[in-house]
Amino acid sequence: MKELVIKDLHAEVEEKEILKGVSLTVRQGEVHALMGPNGNGKSTLLAAVMGHPKYKVTSGSITWDGQDVLSMSVDERSRAGLFLAMQYPQEIPGVTNSDFLRAAMNVRRESPVPLFTFIRSMEKTIKDLEMKEDLAHRFLNEGFSGGEKKRNEIVQMELLKPDLAMLDELDSGLDVDALHIVARAINNMRKEYPLSLIVVSHYERFYELIEPQFVHVLVDGVIVAEGDAELARKIDQEGYDWIYKEYNVQPASEAAAKKRTAVSIGACAVSQKVQGRK
Amino acid sequence: MRTVHVSEDIRLNGGFEEFVIESDRDLDLSISAEGECQAFFRILSAKSLRIRGHVSALSDVSLVFWNEGRQTLRTDESYEVNGNARFVSAYGECSGGMTDRSVYVALREKNAQAEVLTASLINEVKNYRIQVVNFAPKTYGEIRNFAVVLEKGKLMIDAIGKIVKNAKGAKSHQTSRSMSFAKGQSATILPELLIDENDVEASHAMSIGRVDDEQLYYLMSRGLTMKQCTALISAGYLLPVTEVIRNEELRTTLAQELERKIESL
Repeated sequence: MKELVIKDLHAEVEEKEILKGVSLTVRQGEVHALMGPNGNGKSTLLAAVMGHPKYKVTSGSITWDGQDVLSMSVDERSRAGLFLAMQYPQEIPGVTNSDFLRAAMNVRRESPVPLFTFIRSMEKTIKDLEMKEDLAHRFLNEGFSGGEKKRNEIVQMELLKPDLAMLDELDSGLDVDALHIVARAINNMRKEYPLSLIVVSHYERFYELIEPQFVHVLVDGVIVAEGDAELARKIDQEGYDWIYKEYNVQPASEAAAKKRTAVSIGACAVSQKVQGRK
Repeated sequence: MRTVHVSEDIRLNGGFEEFVIESDRDLDLSISAEGECQAFFRILSAKSLRIRGHVSALSDVSLVFWNEGRQTLRTDESYEVNGNARFVSAYGECSGGMTDRSVYVALREKNAQAEVLTASLINEVKNYRIQVVNFAPKTYGEIRNFAVVLEKGKLMIDAIGKIVKNAKGAKSHQTSRSMSFAKGQSATILPELLIDENDVEASHAMSIGRVDDEQLYYLMSRGLTMKQCTALISAGYLLPVTEVIRNEELRTTLAQELERKIESL
């Protein structure tokens, strides 16, 4: 049984610590929702698992199916079965979707995928995601709308069949119809095999479609609250303020702002004082 | 397929012809083309190559040069394009030797069109000087250069679009792009527009740089190794030059050859 185990993970970007001790276990076939205000580490956690070079893990561990993920290169992680549907998929001019996907499928196989088989599965996937028929021949994400890019992430996911997929705000940029199409494609994959998911979204609507069994709330680089789908519903209705109060935490932006106020000196302190008199 | 060993006059009167240039001396080729025709030249060796081309009025002519020699190649090419004719010069560079190429295209009469395209895999010193001159009204000139600069590669492109006085309604466009995958590789591109007429349309675009790290990360996150990413991006950059070739079999063969070359790097 393949499982992702993250233990006490600390990670930084450009020497700023973003993750401050995250622990999370995702077992095969489980769906986990990752919530939290913007800028508090959700995307960083997913990028650290995938191995983005800008995100430096300073301590802690990540294992996947017993293997040390942190010692693997990005491509090795992918071939091991991890997948990240990115928040901002890159545009790669000159590289067609079909050439790219065929190459990506072939690195997972001992012998290359026969052309006819590839075309058939690509056509099916394009149809599943209700994308334009010329997708295969278009350059990778070049000139795609925001929604098309997101759907194309799921086209890739459906063809590459990862064991664990991380969806980073997949629903942003998708209209209601597209959201249903994408959720249907993901749920169909789950029926086919025990796909594990870590889903980052701000919207209850997406969670209703994907139905996570576990919800984690990440505030200032730490998971502060955990629960089931009911937690996502409550956050959708009431926001995060009750979590800050109940768990006595502050989101990263406010914590940083407070820190800045406290260290004001010199001219800033003077202007604060002047402003304070007004 | 015809092998060219010595200087000669080549007449193209329509259809597709294939040549192999293999010689240990200076070659002087005079090419006159009429009608709808395409010629493919596979360059294996030549001390130097001097080409004088004449494209007759109302013709549609494309010449494709594929340099895969191992020695130094020097070319001096000059083409005259007459009224309402369309001319394409496409050049694929994947040789292991130094190349010094000079191309001059004169759009001599009204409505003459020319496109000069290059796609280069650079692992040696390569110098290109490409000049397209609009001598007549409503002429159209375009230069497009794409290069992947590899270790030990050094590229210099001087691309010149020139429009003379009274060539009203003339258009001159150029795009040059050079890409590398590591630090320390050298490319110099000089885009020049020399315009002596007001009623014209002209543009140039140029880029030199390393492949974006975010793009590499994106491709690698789908399981491709760094080498595979390099090959895929390079192929995407260079293969479009083969689309000029009308002969499907040759087009596929060249695309495969280029891909193999890229993958073996």
